[in-house]
Amino acid sequence: MTKLRPFRFILIFTCCVLFAFGLLLTPPVQSVDVRFSRTLVKVAYCLVMIGGGHATRDAATLRAPGGFGVEMRDGCNAVNVTILLWSAVLAFPAPWKMKTLGLAAGSAIVQVLNMMRFISLFYLGQYSMTWFDFAHAYLWESLLALDTLVVFWLWAKRAMRPRASPDARI
Amino acid sequence: MREFKPARFLLRGSVLLIGLLTLWWFALLDPMLFLLKSAAGDFVRIEENPSGDWSLRVRVEKTVPATDLQPMARQIHSVDFDMQRSDVITFTFSLPVYWAIILATPGVRRNLRPLLWGTALMSAVELTLLVVFAGIMASGVAAQLAGSEEAGGRWIRMFGVYLVVNVLPYATPFVVALLLHRELRGAVFAIGQPTATRAASDRGHRLERQRAKSNRV
Repeated sequence: MTKLRPFRFILIFTCCVLFAFGLLLTPPVQSVDVRFSRTLVKVAYCLVMIGGGHATRDAATLRAPGGFGVEMRDGCNAVNVTILLWSAVLAFPAPWKMKTLGLAAGSAIVQVLNMMRFISLFYLGQYSMTWFDFAHAYLWESLLALDTLVVFWLWAKRAMRPRASPDARI
Repeated sequence: MREFKPARFLLRGSVLLIGLLTLWWFALLDPMLFLLKSAAGDFVRIEENPSGDWSLRVRVEKTVPATDLQPMARQIHSVDFDMQRSDVITFTFSLPVYWAIILATPGVRRNLRPLLWGTALMSAVELTLLVVFAGIMASGVAAQLAGSEEAGGRWIRMFGVYLVVNVLPYATPFVVALLLHRELRGAVFAIGQPTATRAASDRGHRLERQRAKSNRV
């Protein structure tokens, strides 16, 4: 295992972030992004229905019977924090097997949290628009970023954990 | 030194984020907007409308070439545009997020220095983001007026606005916290934790010692 070199980490992290966000804003990736958001809304709709709630779905919008609708737009599908997590994982000096595990498990955890965020916003918006605006743009976004940092932290801890080497297993 | 535990940090951080962002939303937002407006006044002319929206005037020097409709070339010296209050707020919310991250780490006295330095740094970052945002918007308007807007330039501006509005205000508090708080940085990046190589050599030494002991017996 190589030691963390701060400048190398910052350089690779910054390059990955700029490349990934640049790629995200290209038309082909944007269309994939929109389809991904629609799939997430489909999952949220199923979860609401399984939970005994009432909703209708229209493309990337989840609508309540009262008329309130919440649309999953670019940025609401946790792609931004996923890019930051991926960049940090790729920049960290760990074996590729660990990196793959970090990318897959980290993305899954972030998406589960984002689903909780989306469904909670769907119900919060029916109760109060002021609280919806606050929770949507600021509170949930920063909570998701904090969760992402902790996901990276747990992964880095695991990646650096000492493993038994063949020499030591005599 | 007390050990950092990710779960504890997450719990404290979440509670602090909810508390500090609520405090910011209800009590600190207006004073912070006032301070941001005063500080940004050195770079951009800002006027606040009764609705709370901001009208910005950014200095841009650009020549608009003559066209069929306008036979004389014109010189643009500044560009005016409005910003909704909800958009301006984005440039103040990183500070309470930063405070929550720092206060979530254990040790009050240890957090004092990063808290003070970070507050100054975050304030400067928020001001810079606002000024950069205003600059990008103004250059876009000027390019449109001059008819010199190319697809590449438009994409770069869109990319810049996306980073300044959707990424940096959310990511910067975490980056600054990791830069300024040594213990937090050490814990998150597992610095100082025994690596695989060192642990293996430690085990090797232990085994050698055990063998030597058994030979002596």
